[in-house]
Amino acid sequence: MNAANTVPARRKKHVTPGGRKKTFWLTTMMLPAAAWLLLIRYLPMGGIMMSFLDYRLPTRKMPFPVNLFHSKWVGLDNFKFLFTSESAQMIRNTIGYNVLWIILGLIIAVAFAIMMSELTKKFLAKTYQTMMFFPYFLSWVVVAYFLFAFMDPTNGMIVRSQKAAGGNVIDWYNSPQYWPVILTVCSMWKNTGYSTVLYLSAITGIDRSQYEAAAVDGATKWQQVIHVTLPHLKPMIVILLIMNVGKIFNADFGLFWSVPMNSAPLFPATQVVDTYVYRAYTTTGNVGMSTAAGFLQNLVGFICIMAANTIVRKLDPDSSLF
Amino acid sequence: MKKFLALLLAALMLLSLTPAMADGPEEISILLEGNNVTDDAAVLEKLNAYLTEKINVTVKPVWGTWANFDDLARNAVNSGNNTYDIMFTCSWTSNEYAPYAKKGAYVRLDDPEDNLLETYGADLKTVLPELLFEGAMTEGPDGQKGIYAVPGFKDFATMSTWDVNVTLLEKYGYTLQDVIDAGFYGWGDIFAKVKAGEQADGSVFYPFIFEGAVAERNVNGTPIVTGDAGSLLSYYMNLEDVSTPGAYGNVLLNKYATPEFEKFAAQMHEYYEAGYIDPAISMGDTATDTWRNAQNSARYLISSEVSLYGYEVTTSNARGIQVAYIMSTDAPYIDNTSVQGAMMAISANSEHPEAAMKFLNLLNTDPYVMTLLNYGVEGIHYTLNDEGEVVFTDVRNNSYTVWTNGLGNVTILPPQKGQGADFQERFAAFYAGSKKLPIYGFTFDPKPVENEIAAVSNIKEAYMLGLCTGARDPQTDLPELLKKLDDAGMQKIVDEANAQLKAFLGE
Amino acid sequence: MTSIAKKRSAFRGNAVSGRAEALFHVTLGLFALCCIIPFIFVIIISLSSEDSIRRIGYSFTPQVFSLDAYTQVLHLGDSLWRSYFNSFLVTAVGTLLSVSMCVLYAYPLFRKDYRFRGFFSFLSFFTMIFGGGLIPTYIVCNSLLKMGNTYAALIVPMLVSPFNIIIMRTFFQTSVPFDLIEASTIDGAGEYTTLVRIILPIVKPGIATVALLTALAYWNEWFLCLLYVTDRNLYPLQYLLMEMQRNAEFLARNSSMIGAAGAEALRTLPSQTMRMAVVVFIVLPIACAYPFFQRYVVAGLTIGSVKG
Repeated sequence: MNAANTVPARRKKHVTPGGRKKTFWLTTMMLPAAAWLLLIRYLPMGGIMMSFLDYRLPTRKMPFPVNLFHSKWVGLDNFKFLFTSESAQMIRNTIGYNVLWIILGLIIAVAFAIMMSELTKKFLAKTYQTMMFFPYFLSWVVVAYFLFAFMDPTNGMIVRSQKAAGGNVIDWYNSPQYWPVILTVCSMWKNTGYSTVLYLSAITGIDRSQYEAAAVDGATKWQQVIHVTLPHLKPMIVILLIMNVGKIFNADFGLFWSVPMNSAPLFPATQVVDTYVYRAYTTTGNVGMSTAAGFLQNLVGFICIMAANTIVRKLDPDSSLF
Repeated sequence: MKKFLALLLAALMLLSLTPAMADGPEEISILLEGNNVTDDAAVLEKLNAYLTEKINVTVKPVWGTWANFDDLARNAVNSGNNTYDIMFTCSWTSNEYAPYAKKGAYVRLDDPEDNLLETYGADLKTVLPELLFEGAMTEGPDGQKGIYAVPGFKDFATMSTWDVNVTLLEKYGYTLQDVIDAGFYGWGDIFAKVKAGEQADGSVFYPFIFEGAVAERNVNGTPIVTGDAGSLLSYYMNLEDVSTPGAYGNVLLNKYATPEFEKFAAQMHEYYEAGYIDPAISMGDTATDTWRNAQNSARYLISSEVSLYGYEVTTSNARGIQVAYIMSTDAPYIDNTSVQGAMMAISANSEHPEAAMKFLNLLNTDPYVMTLLNYGVEGIHYTLNDEGEVVFTDVRNNSYTVWTNGLGNVTILPPQKGQGADFQERFAAFYAGSKKLPIYGFTFDPKPVENEIAAVSNIKEAYMLGLCTGARDPQTDLPELLKKLDDAGMQKIVDEANAQLKAFLGE
Repeated sequence: MTSIAKKRSAFRGNAVSGRAEALFHVTLGLFALCCIIPFIFVIIISLSSEDSIRRIGYSFTPQVFSLDAYTQVLHLGDSLWRSYFNSFLVTAVGTLLSVSMCVLYAYPLFRKDYRFRGFFSFLSFFTMIFGGGLIPTYIVCNSLLKMGNTYAALIVPMLVSPFNIIIMRTFFQTSVPFDLIEASTIDGAGEYTTLVRIILPIVKPGIATVALLTALAYWNEWFLCLLYVTDRNLYPLQYLLMEMQRNAEFLARNSSMIGAAGAEALRTLPSQTMRMAVVVFIVLPIACAYPFFQRYVVAGLTIGSVKG
C-alpha cells in the first residue's frame, strides 16, 4: 500500500460539506449517461424473453411487443443446440483461448509497460509505443489480409519460399494444428499495444518522488517495480482481470471468423461459441436460438464476474469492481 | 420487475402505433437486393410522375446490396417495422420465402377474404406463366397453401453445366466431344497433357478450377432441396430425363452417405493429388475469388457454371476465348429453388398493401416501368442502337447498377447489345422446353428438427468443401464425417424430410 | 516546466542498468517492428502488378510495380471522399459527446461521499454483462427513436461504454487525492467548478486515453451502418471496405443460386490487389493522424506526472 491510496482508505467517514446540494449536483452529472443506459440498454432487455419463446413475428394486427405474449413458451428448447455431441469442442476452444490470453496478455502488457517506462531515450519509447499501438487500429478483416499475404496457398510468401527452397510446403489453411499458435500470436499482436498504453498511462500517473524515496532507501530497480509500480497498477490489473473473466464465454468474433478465412478444416481449432451460433443462425434464421445463446453467455459471464469480484473483495476491498 | 417490464412494453407499443394518413399519391417503399445504385434521382422523377398518373402511387426504392440485404430484411421482418412495403424475397438468401411466409411475415396475395392478386393484380395472371404461381404456393401461418409473393419471370429453370475453355482445349489437339465422351471420371489424361504444356514456361497452372459446392451436382444430378439451407439432403435426378424419378425414387437421402458421393469424392481426391485442382478453391473465403479469377483470365481448362440461356456468348466475348457449356441434364430442370429464385412480397406490416399490389402489377406488365427501373432513363443511362438493343452508358455502369433478375419480369425488357432483337422470344422458347422435377412443389420445413440442423450443418461445413474439391481424402475423412453426422442426429433430419415429402406427394 | 525537467534529471540517476535497457530496446523494438511490417508488406502487394504476383507470388520485392489497384480504387470517386468526411465527422462528434458523458458519469462514481454511488455503479456495470440482443435494440433505435438513415444512428448507439466509465473511474482513483476535493469544497467551489478547474487537469492522461479508445472505436465501426443506414451518402469509410468484403462473401456463399448474374457481379468485384489497396486507403489516414493523436496522449501523460 502506498501513501496516496491509504489516505482516503484510512478515513472512517467520507464527508464533505454540502449534503443535499452536493448530491443533487453530482446526480445531474450522471443523468445524460444514465438516461442513455436506460433507453438503449435496459429497455431492450425485455427481449431476453425471446430466449424462451417460439418467436412469432410482429405484424400490423399484432405489433411488437404484443407478439411476444402470443408466442408459444418453449422453455429451454432454444438452448438445446448449444449442447450437442459437437459443442464440447467449441466450448473448450472458447474458454481455453480466453484463459490463455487473459494470463498471457496481462504478463506481456505489464512487462512492456514497465520496460517502456524505464527507457531513458523518450523519443525511442514514443516510437515503440506508436508502432505497437498500430495493430489495434486495424479491423480483423484487414489483419486477415496481412496474414493471408504470407500464408496464401498459391501466392503466399511463406509458401512460395518453401517451394523455392524445395522444402515441404505447409498447407496453412488446412492444418488445424498450427492455429492455436497463430491465433494467439494474432491476438497478442493486435491487443498488446492497447493494454500497454493503458498500463503505461497508469504508471506515468505514479508520483516520481516515490521512486526516488525508494531509491534513497536503497531499493534496487527490481524492488522498486515490485513495491512501487505493481501496487499502483493493481487496481487497473484487477479491474481488467475481472472484466475479462466476465467475457470468458464470449469470443472475439472477428478474429475467429475472418482470420482463418472461414476455412472449414480449421474448425477443430477455430470454432468458438460466437462463430458456432452465427453459423447456426444463418442456416436456421431462428431469433430465439441466437438470443438464447447470447443470454447464456451473459449468464455465465455474470456468474464468473460475481465470483471473481467476491474473491477480490475478500482479499482487498479497495480493488473490487463494486 | 414484471410490472415494470409490462409497463415498458406497453409504452413501446403505443409509440410504435403511429397513424399514417396522407392525401395525394401513396408512397410505398421497396427493399431490393444486389444493387449498386448511388444516384437514382433521374429515374425516380420520371417513374413517380408516371406512376402518380397511372395508379396514384409513388415509390421509394431502398437499394439493398449483397452486403446488407440479409441484415436489412431479417431485422425488418423480425422487428415488425413498417419501413418497407415491398420486400425482395427468394428461396436462398436469409430472407427466405417459405419459412418467413409460414411465420407470417408477408401478406397472402390470394387470400380468399381479400384477394389482392385478383383485385389489383389481374394482369399478372395473364403475363406470368401458371407454372410460376404453382411454384410460389407455400404454407402460411394458418397452415393453408397460398401465394405470398409475386414470382419473378426470369431463367426459372436450372442449368448445371461444366464450363470448358475450348480455345485451350483445341491448342492441345482435343475437341469438346472428347471432353464429353471421357466424362468426369475420365479427364485425367487431358488434364495431365494440358497442365504439362501450360507449365512449360515455369509458371503454375491448374486445369480444373470450379465451384466446390456445385461440382457434385454436375456429376450426380443432385438438385438443391428447397428449404434445406444447410445443403444436407440429396435427391437423385434421372439425368436422362429429369422429369422421371431417379435411381433412388422419390426419396431424400443423406448427401454424404451414398456410394455415388464416395466415388465422386475419391475421383476428386485423385485429381487433387495429381495437382490438377487449385488448392485455393477448397478454402471458404478464397474459393470463389480463385474460381472466378481463373475464368475471367481464361486460365483454366474446365470449370463449372450455373448457366442461363445465351450465356456462352457473353462469357466468350468477355474472356476473349471460346467458351462452351456442357449441361449435365437432358433439359434445364425446374425446381422450387429456381422458381422462387427472385420474388416480391408485400410486408405484413405494410400500411399500403393495395398500392403495393397495384405497383407490382404494373412493374411486371408495363415495359416502360420495368425498363425505367431496371435500365434507367434512355439518353442518360442507356442508348438504343440501330438494332433496337440497349447499350449502357458510363452513368449507368457507375451509378445505377441494378440486379436485373431481382426486380421481376425480365421478359418485357428490351434486348441488350449482342443479344439480337428476337432474344426474348428465343429465351422464352428455350425455357418452355425445361422440365419439372418429380418433387417439384415440395419445400422442406426445417422447423421440427432445427436443433439437429444447427449442429449438423456446423459439422458438414467442416468437411464439405474439402471433400468436394478433393483436398480431403474420402478414405479417412468420409467415415469420420458420417460418424459425426450420425451422432448429431442426421438420421432424424432425413426421416423428417422424407415424412414431409411423402405427405406432399400423397396429396 | 522547469520543475519537470529537474525531476527528470534527478530521476535519471535512478535508471535501470545500461545492459538491461539495451535488452528492453531489443525486445520492444523487435515487437514494434513486427507490428508494422505486415502493413508495409500489404502496401508493397497493392503496388505489385497482377502478373508479378502470378509468377512469383506475394513478395517484398515484386518484379513489376503497378498502380492499377489504386486507379481502380480512385474510380470510387465521390463516394470515397464522402465516406472519408463521414468517418471524420462521426469520429469527432461521437468522441466529444462520449468522452464528456463518460467523465461526468465516472466522476461521481469515484466520489466516495456520493450517496447513489452504488446504484449508478451497478446501473452501468450490469449493462456490460446483460443485453437485450440485436432485435430489441434495433426496435428501440429504429422504430422508437427513429434513428434510421441519420448520422445519429452512427453515433448514439455507442455513446456510453461502461468499460470506459470503469477505466475513467480507476484513473480518478489512482491519481486524484481525496483531500483535494475536500479542500476545494471548503473553498466553496461548486461541484462542476471543482471538476473542471481542479480535477480534470489532473486526470488528463486518463481523458486522453479514453478519448483515443473511443475515437478508434468510432473510426473502426461499420456494424451500425449495416444495421441502420441504407443511404450511401452516410456511409463511413470502414463500411466501404466491409461492403466489398461482405459482397464478396455473400456472392461466394450464394454463387450457385444467383447463377450468371452473380458471375457478372463477381467480375466487377475488386481483385486481391485492389482490396489490399483499399486496406491501405483505410489505414493510411489513421497512420497519418495517429502521431497527432499520440502527441495529445503523450502531452497528457507528462502533465499527469505533475501533481500535488
